Amino acid sequence: MIHFLDVTKHYDNQTAVRNVTFSVDKGEMAFVSGPSGSGKTTVLKLIYLAEKPDEGTITVAGWDITRLRESGIPLLRRNIGVVFQDFRLLARKNVFENIAMALRIRGIGEKETKSRVYEALKSVNLRHKSDAFPPQLSGGEQQRVVLARATVAEPPVILADEPTGNLDPDTAQGVMRIFRDVNAKGTTVLIATHNRELYRNSGRRVFRLEAGNLVGDGIH
Amino acid sequence: MSAPYALKLAAQSLFREKWINLLSVLTIGSGLLVISVAFLAAYNIKAATGRLPEKFSMVLYLDEGTTKAQIDRTMLSLKRDPAVSSVSYISKGQAMKELKATIRNADALFEGLDENPLPASLEVKLKKDSVGPGTVKELAAKAGRLKGVREVDYGEKFLSSLYSLRRGVNSLGLILIAIIATGIIFVCYSTVKILFYRRSEEIETFKLLGATSWFIRFPFLLEGSVIGFSGGLLSLIGILSFYYFGILKLSLTSPVFRAVLFPADLFLPLPLVGLLLGLTGSAIALGRLRY
Repeated sequence: MIHFLDVTKHYDNQTAVRNVTFSVDKGEMAFVSGPSGSGKTTVLKLIYLAEKPDEGTITVAGWDITRLRESGIPLLRRNIGVVFQDFRLLARKNVFENIAMALRIRGIGEKETKSRVYEALKSVNLRHKSDAFPPQLSGGEQQRVVLARATVAEPPVILADEPTGNLDPDTAQGVMRIFRDVNAKGTTVLIATHNRELYRNSGRRVFRLEAGNLVGDGIH
Repeated sequence: MSAPYALKLAAQSLFREKWINLLSVLTIGSGLLVISVAFLAAYNIKAATGRLPEKFSMVLYLDEGTTKAQIDRTMLSLKRDPAVSSVSYISKGQAMKELKATIRNADALFEGLDENPLPASLEVKLKKDSVGPGTVKELAAKAGRLKGVREVDYGEKFLSSLYSLRRGVNSLGLILIAIIATGIIFVCYSTVKILFYRRSEEIETFKLLGATSWFIRFPFLLEGSVIGFSGGLLSLIGILSFYYFGILKLSLTSPVFRAVLFPADLFLPLPLVGLLLGLTGSAIALGRLRY
């Protein structure tokens, strides 16, 4: 589903990722791990083209996205649900509107939007918070709203950047359970995290990055 | 994006940023009102000067002793000219009669005149569309070469001044319209640019979630159009008030204002003009979205 072939990305004089090659199969749930600054976020950004690689080839669902024209980027992004590290929730819109945005962007009608948003809210146990605004929610609740927004349109790929970064262990486990549920339905999931507890004994593949180099690719 | 959702976003933003939007509407309204007043002035000057060519005539003074046959030939030759509307002969006697009618109570002036010193003449009226400094000068030169014609008089300076005034009013009007229209586009440009920057985080999120350029731009274009339309509507109300509560009231006391023409139908498209200017400014402000 996701293939990196000799991908390199520089920021000014710094190399964020260097000659990285890996693959994530369709329907797989995998992790990108490594310490802060190892290039995990860059790998995810390269997949949804928030950054463009300087060298190498990236294919997502058969598309060579390194050759994608700018007009094709929205379509690529509509096939990828992203759980951003900084959430990217709109403070002036309530929880319902924040999630509905993902469907409205895809041109889905109001009636269907309503039922799908409530369904997504139910799956993250936030049905009762639909009218609340992001600043009124706890970190864990905000994280679950972002997760609902990423999954509501049922994209074939979900990317998550440090999805449990600021959460207590119980909430983090709850969030991971949701990822596993989404993956069980056939969605490819790639999670970037520095927290080894998330994938220890999970039986999932982990790509380990250090200073932009891929130093490990194995099942944990 | 569905149109109702775009409308909803635009309405939300219009309300949320009401003060900046109101300021833009007032600026656009004032600009279009200045254009409208200038247009009204130019329209009236053009209408007033436009009536003058109907009264314009050229006088050809004839040599003493010009025969009737020669006069007929000259008249025929002039009538053949496509710019000429009519030619009439004024005899020496008729000229004196007209002079006496013009200068009343001046019998003393004419006492002692043994013979009529006034020459016979031909009065040439031109077609309204043909009255212009170039055509008239050409015709005057041609008439001056005709046999029996001594002198041609047609108020050359007056005619060229009149046409200079018309050209000046037209040019000044066009320059004023161009400057203010550019200003209005700039106001819309700045407004949308400010709104765009204020919502840059939201727009960035839209882009990351896969929104197309059209999805992002549509509410802004709608907003710019609404601001432009409202400014246009305000200027329409302004110019109607200017005429009905200003000019018309003044015309009750001062006859000068009674002559003012008000082409109301020409001002009705003002809101549409505002809308187009608003839309143009917004489109320029948004430019090309980069992903």
